[in-house]
Amino acid sequence: MGVERTARHLRAIFTGMKYLFIGPRLTIMYPDEIEELPESYRGMIEYDWDSCIKCSLCAMVCPADAMKMYVSKEESEREGKVVKRPGINYTRCVFCGFCVDICPTNSLRFTGVHDVAYYTYEEQIYTPQEFSKGVPKPIYDREPKKVKAILDEKRGIVYEPSGRS
Amino acid sequence: MNIIDLLFQPYIFIPLVFPGLIAAFVLLLIIIWLERKIAAKVQLRYGPLYVLKPLGGVIQTIADLLRYLFQEPIIPKDVDKVAFLLTPVFLFGLAYLPLVIIPISPTYYAFRSDLSLLIALALATLAPIFTLIMGWASNNKFSLIGSVREGYLVTSYEMPIFLSALSMAVLYNSLDLVEIAEAQRKIWGVFLNPVAAANMLVLIYMSTSKFPFEIPEAESEIVAGPYTEYSGIIYGLVMGASYIKLYVLSLIYSILFLGGWNPSPSPDPLISGGVLFLKAFILVAFGAFLRAVYPRFRIDQAVNIGWRIAFPLSLLSILISLILILGGVSFGS
Amino acid sequence: MSLEERTLELLIGPQHPASGHMRLVAKIDGDIVVELRPNIGYVHRSVEKLAEVKKFLQIIPLVERPSLADTTANNLAYVMALEKLLGIDPPERAKYLRTLLAEINRIHSHLYGLGIHGVMIGSSTAYMWCFGDREPFLELAQELTGARLTYSYIIPGGVRRDLPKGFAERAEKAIKYLEGRMKDYFDIYFNNPVVKARLEGVGVLSKEDAIKLGVTGPNLRASGVAYDVRRAEPYAAYPHLDFDVITEEEGDCYARVMVRVREIMESIKIIRQVLKEIPEGPILHESYEKLIPPKLREEMKQRGVVKFPSVFANLRVPAGEAISRVEGGRGEVVFHVISDGKLSPYRMRMVTPSFRNVILFEHLTRGARVADIPAIYGSLDYFPPEADR
Repeated sequence: MGVERTARHLRAIFTGMKYLFIGPRLTIMYPDEIEELPESYRGMIEYDWDSCIKCSLCAMVCPADAMKMYVSKEESEREGKVVKRPGINYTRCVFCGFCVDICPTNSLRFTGVHDVAYYTYEEQIYTPQEFSKGVPKPIYDREPKKVKAILDEKRGIVYEPSGRS
Repeated sequence: MNIIDLLFQPYIFIPLVFPGLIAAFVLLLIIIWLERKIAAKVQLRYGPLYVLKPLGGVIQTIADLLRYLFQEPIIPKDVDKVAFLLTPVFLFGLAYLPLVIIPISPTYYAFRSDLSLLIALALATLAPIFTLIMGWASNNKFSLIGSVREGYLVTSYEMPIFLSALSMAVLYNSLDLVEIAEAQRKIWGVFLNPVAAANMLVLIYMSTSKFPFEIPEAESEIVAGPYTEYSGIIYGLVMGASYIKLYVLSLIYSILFLGGWNPSPSPDPLISGGVLFLKAFILVAFGAFLRAVYPRFRIDQAVNIGWRIAFPLSLLSILISLILILGGVSFGS
Repeated sequence: MSLEERTLELLIGPQHPASGHMRLVAKIDGDIVVELRPNIGYVHRSVEKLAEVKKFLQIIPLVERPSLADTTANNLAYVMALEKLLGIDPPERAKYLRTLLAEINRIHSHLYGLGIHGVMIGSSTAYMWCFGDREPFLELAQELTGARLTYSYIIPGGVRRDLPKGFAERAEKAIKYLEGRMKDYFDIYFNNPVVKARLEGVGVLSKEDAIKLGVTGPNLRASGVAYDVRRAEPYAAYPHLDFDVITEEEGDCYARVMVRVREIMESIKIIRQVLKEIPEGPILHESYEKLIPPKLREEMKQRGVVKFPSVFANLRVPAGEAISRVEGGRGEVVFHVISDGKLSPYRMRMVTPSFRNVILFEHLTRGARVADIPAIYGSLDYFPPEADR
């Protein structure tokens, strides 16, 4: 019994030594490398002013009360009834994607952006005009390389440069 | 004599430069970084990388030391202030003491005595009392539990370490470290008495809180044990003290079992001292590597190992030494 | 000295490296624990009360958030209760896709629990390896649903997205990787003598006590009771799949860890079967598909992304009550939804497995040592936000 236990100790130490000398590493060196996300990734949302039909379904379905409808004054006066357009509050958004999935005209779309930083709290609350300008581009200190995550049988995940910047 | 000659006198060089204060300090800086890198490599990640990126972050420990120097040490209100502040200093200082007696070549030593092995081992046992005082002075229940655990462990590893070391003294017929190292010119002690060698190696790791025996400072049970209330430079001191103790005990182990400075390419004290230092460094690095492999034992299981496994094995190692002597192996006069 | 004078009261509180979001009040006599009382409720977010003011579809992300590592179980249980009230049955392909996501979620939830247990008994290698090996499965789930952890994938009537192209090959690679790593896991962690010495014989839960106290999940199965909701009351695609219910006999911490490891291997078997046998067909129930305008329906089928019908924004559910049960990674999730015909439920009751397992803290630690507290805590796979909701 003592022999078997010593053998198990030695096997644990040898496995550790094996990984010490030939172990791979699973790290992405962020922010020098950033991962290129698949197309269906639920990131921040962009809004198309022209195709929106102002149906308010997005604000009705949002679970976190992040989408709110703002009265658009010129269009209301022009059309004679109350016209509302959506604005988003990124401090409340949980990136569930219900608004994108319910919009009947595909005016709300996902972008792959998820790591933008803001200076003040109020900058994260977008009115419809600002919302339609698009998602801010994240500012990196150095120009990052894009890598793609590829699943591999031996090493789990291998990060290879994706060839696009 | 001028200052250079004074510096290279053995009684100044060994305690102060090599393998004394400055070499121990450099080893401390390197081994803390190395432990984190070894654990990181086994765990599929990088470890500290950014402080000097082309060299792999090797001066990370210097950055940590600077941070500790400038950090405010917080002294809680109800602690015993004298004991709280002085015990880390004593712990760190007394851990160095056995270095004065370690020889680094047959002719280069600070002072020689017939009992240098006993002196080295006895000086190495002074440190744990300060861990007990630290636990009491911190006025914290977790520290108390941690220091009591250290007290239990001391009773279970001290005696087997002495017996295993003394079994080699019985074999080599001397308690003098120089003579013990010189007697291993042809064959190392680890091949003559492997039981004592394996026994003492495990006990050295028990004595300095290396995994799997990291019990007084078990993080997930008692926060940081006796070191819970410490911050700033006094925390840096206690963190380094256990590595210094491991270094000292590895030097003693290398002289007892791994041939000391044999085989040394030249009788120059620096070269033979370098061989000794390399052997001690490998043992310290192995202790750091064990962090990545083992979890920690419970206190009763570790005390069990000390009394039920290590103590009989140390008696067995004395028996093996006696059998070898009766069988005709003899050294010295 | 009497027992009263000898005991030390230790507050393993929220500010502790290994306590989680809860407080454990321990009374210790030397090294033996005399009494351990858990003090929960630090992260109570009143999910059940919030559900009374939110609309039915808005509750889906709400009920996912408490049990962070195993979100699909809550999502699936809630939607199953809703579907019982609405009286609809999702199409077959949707059921298989729900099973696929539930099993991927079970794998990475078990790895999470094993990793946290490893760092509680001191092995940081187990922690880093388990969390690193979750990554391929999070990437798979990201490809399928678009998010890494909080999927909100299951909606009343079906699922939200279809399988992307090439998913089966990538899933096979991730599964082969995990199977290949199991040998190293066993060498360095599960067969490590120190791990066995820490976990064997610690916190033994007998079969009668397990049934009497009402514990659930792998904690129950490690004591010899072969109860699994996927076999007792099958749902989704489980009636058509072939898998075993894993049990162990000893009921100690090591048995609970082994049940989780072997359940990971069973989940791998289920995922392979699902990917091979998944039928073609629609992924949303026809009564909802009818309500989507035809142009959007074409685009939906082509891209594989479901557009919600606009009735989802103000879904009215007929009056009634429904109970649904799902086997999550940590145990059995029970949802009880009562609706009275309005836009929000009248009452939604959510029973999570961690809440049912809290009793084991007090029961298993009587007479154990101080160092056994983290060992027992980690082996129960207890997650404080899930218990507090």
